[in-house]
Formats: sequence, C-alpha cells, structure tokens
Amino acid sequence: MAGKVDRIQDPELRASLQAAQESLRKGDYRDVVQRSAEAFVELLRRRPELLQGQEGVRRVFMFPRLGVDLVVSPGSPPTLKYERERFSFSEAVTYLEFATEQLLQAGA
Amino acid sequence: MKFGLFYELQLPKPYDADQWHPDQEHRIVKEALEQIELADRLGFDYIFIVEHHFLEEYSHSSAPEVFLAAASQRTRNMRLGHGIVLMPPPYNHPARVAERIAMLDLVSDGRVEFGTGESSSEMEMGGFGVRREEKKAMWEEATRECLRMMTEVPYPGYEGSYFAMPSRNVIPKPLQKPHPPVWVAASRRETTMVAARLGIGSLGFGFETPDEARERVEEYYRLIREECFPIGKAINPALAVLSVLSCFDSDEEAIAKGLEGAQFFSYSLGYYYSPFTGGAHRPGRVNLYHQFKDTPPEQRWGALAEWFRGFAGYRGGFGEEPQDEVGRALWRAAQRGGCIGTPEFVRETLLRYEQAHLDVMLFVAQCGARKHEDIMDSLYRFGTKVLPEFKERHEQHQRWRQEQLAPVDYPIVSSI
Repeated sequence: MAGKVDRIQDPELRASLQAAQESLRKGDYRDVVQRSAEAFVELLRRRPELLQGQEGVRRVFMFPRLGVDLVVSPGSPPTLKYERERFSFSEAVTYLEFATEQLLQAGA
Repeated sequence: MKFGLFYELQLPKPYDADQWHPDQEHRIVKEALEQIELADRLGFDYIFIVEHHFLEEYSHSSAPEVFLAAASQRTRNMRLGHGIVLMPPPYNHPARVAERIAMLDLVSDGRVEFGTGESSSEMEMGGFGVRREEKKAMWEEATRECLRMMTEVPYPGYEGSYFAMPSRNVIPKPLQKPHPPVWVAASRRETTMVAARLGIGSLGFGFETPDEARERVEEYYRLIREECFPIGKAINPALAVLSVLSCFDSDEEAIAKGLEGAQFFSYSLGYYYSPFTGGAHRPGRVNLYHQFKDTPPEQRWGALAEWFRGFAGYRGGFGEEPQDEVGRALWRAAQRGGCIGTPEFVRETLLRYEQAHLDVMLFVAQCGARKHEDIMDSLYRFGTKVLPEFKERHEQHQRWRQEQLAPVDYPIVSSI
C-alpha cells in the first residue's frame, strides 16, 4: 500500500520526501529532518499566500521546533535555522509527517 | 471499542476566594477513587491519569503512581494507565520509572498500561529545566532505555545524550512480560505516526473528530504493518482518543450538569498551553475559575479551542446555525458536546468512532466544578444504558484488528 508521500503531486517535492523516507529507513535522521523541513519551506516560498491570515499563523505556530526553527519575517522568504546537527528517530518522523501533511493539505 | 476514564484531578478555586478550602484536595482525590470503583463495577475497561506539575486548578495529579496504587486495591478488572509518565530525565530518572511501573504491575496483578510523554507546558518544562527543542529526543531515549531496564538482566548501563548510568540489575521486573503495554501521549498527528513507527499505542489528546480518527486509524495501522521499528520488546498497536462525558435522561439536564465543566477543561488547558498565557502564569496568585466565570459564554472554550476542536464535539464558532441538516447537527453538537446528552445521543456519537475502528474512547468525566454526585450518576447511566452493547460488539473489532495485524511478526502485548 502506497504511503501518503506518494500522493504528493509535485514531482520535485514528492521526490524530496521520498528521499527523506529512504533516509529514515537507513537511519540518517539528520537528512530526514533537512529534506522534510526544506520541502515545507520550499512550499511556502512558492505559495506565500499560505502564510497569510489566521491559517498562516497557525501553520507557522505548528512547525515542529525540535532543533530546526522556521524563521518568518515580513518581506523576506521563510528560512530555516539549524540549532544542532544530531536528531533522533522520533524527531525525524515528526518533521517528515508534518511536511507530508502540510504539502497534501496545500494540494502540492 | 473499549472505554475508560481519564483524570486530570481538576480543582477550580472557589469563585470568591484566593485559595482552595483546606479539605478540597483531599475531597477530590477521595471522590475520584469512588468514581473509579463504580466505573470498575460497571465494566469500564481503563482508567488513565496524568502526571502534571504546577498546573493549578487544571491538574492536581503530580504523583499518579500513588493514586494508581490506591486504585489498584479498589478495583478488580480495570486496567490502570499512566496517561502519562513524563519521561524526560529531569522529571523522572528512567530507572525510577522502571521500578515504579514494575511495582505497580505487581501490586495490581499485571494491570498496568505504561503511558509515556514529554510534556509541553512552559510551567512544567521551566520548572524542571527541560528545553522544548530537546524534549522529544529526551522522551525517546528515556523510554527506550526504561524498557530495556524492565527486561534485561542486568541492564548493561548507558551513556546517552540526556542521562547516563552504570550497569545495574533494575528490580523488580513487571509481571506482564516482556513489559506492560506502552503508549505515548499524542496531542499532534505527527506523534501518532511516531507511535505507529515505534510500535506503541497513541493516546490521542488532540480530541479528534470521528472523521479525523478514521484517517488516523488507517494510516496508523498501515505504518504498524509496513514501517514499524519497535522501541520495546513487544508492540502495543492501539489508538485512544478523548471526549467528555455527561450522560443524563434529557439533553437539558446533561448540558446543565456537564457543559460548564467541559468548557473549564478546555479553558484551563488553553490557558496553560497557549504560548501567550502559559509561561506568564503567576504561581499561587491566579484564580483561573474566577476568570473563566467572568468570561462571556461564547469565549469559554478558551484560547486553544480551535486546536482541540474534536473535544466535546466542539468545532469552533458560535455563529448562525447552518441550514443544511448535517451542518446543523454538528453545530448543535458543538453547543452541547460530543458526549454530553442523553444515552441515545451519546450512543449515536460513539457509533461513529466505533465505525472508524477506534480502539479506546477515554472520557473526561471529572472536570471543572462538576459535582461528585452528578459524575457518579452520569457514569452509572452510561455504564448501564450505553456501554453493554459496545462491549458485546467488541469481538468484531478484535477480529478486524487481527486482520490488520496479520502480517506483523513482532510480539504483541496489548489489552485491546
């Protein structure tokens, strides 16, 4: 049975999260976190309207702050700030699941 | 579907006083134990109780292992759940958790459900020096090692990122082998999926609606089958969610005796978990119940109501009643709560969760300033008028679950 990542329409973003899934299986948790967080930020760069209004505030608020922070400032594209290099399995899954869900909800 | 009670031990301050009356904490504990005794006799399957610290009025349950030990001597069949133990080592050393869980399992003849979690309120994390960005990694490391301590002779020792200890034989060992069923508190969807990938139960404190529960059940069991790397020596495939219960002979009575308590639960939760108010709490100097009572009724679900929109059937908004039949039904449910109503109303609501293949529904019955007599009355009505038919059908759910888990090779320790 196909996972949720395979339902992402955008080939570039889908490939990024498929690679993250593969890294999870290999135990490379930093790569999972990086690919997942960057896929989400790429979505926000392409679709700045996703940062507007109450839903936008909620989207930023819900970003997992587990060693990578989402930096959003007016007039600039969103960026990521890495606070450490090592991540646990559960942190990696959290970023992967968050990014997957956000991309699917946005119809990406 | 199985049923349980979920306790925070809520204790609102008197509206017109700065502090509680001297006997109030004693009374709420004794009443809760009475409620649990009744629930056990009625056939409820679980009691889960939280570990929280410093969350005045919202939760006075900071030593759940003591409460559960008392409950174990007053009940016969009910499973005794930690909902949850705070696992980051600054709260509890993993060896102390392993010891306490094992002892509780022994005194209760093997009835423990080992719920784990990481905490997320600023009051608690700040109080014990837990950094928000590290709490999940702390939870994972401590939980994994704690389960090794329960099963390995001797525990070989550990040098981790968040705690270290030399080789010791951690005793006693739990009665349930290899260890009691393990759960994790999941207030976010992502954590439910972490649970699936680690082979543990998800205690859904995000108050899912039936539709959300259905989606999560499907994805959770898929991950258990296809992407599971167990954190312990056995897996506990199980999904539980929360609702609030007030079951009376008329909707009006159920609302009158149950709605305000549900709203206070949501309001006080929002107060402590909102990034705007949670960290600014003045210990010992706030009367949250007074604030709540002075809040206009339409705002009493509190600051995070939208994030907990499944709770009590709440879906947000008190605007105009929708015209279409389904929308109107949901809007009305929002006003009175998912399981606040007559036995027939409660049954209809629960049928939707049963159809979604939810494993456990946990009820918040003791909340806000609800009266003990009303809680007992509501439990009795639910236990005699609603519970029996769900118990009869549980075998069907077990068959469905066996099909879902057929390809799974890992040992399963689960009470579902």
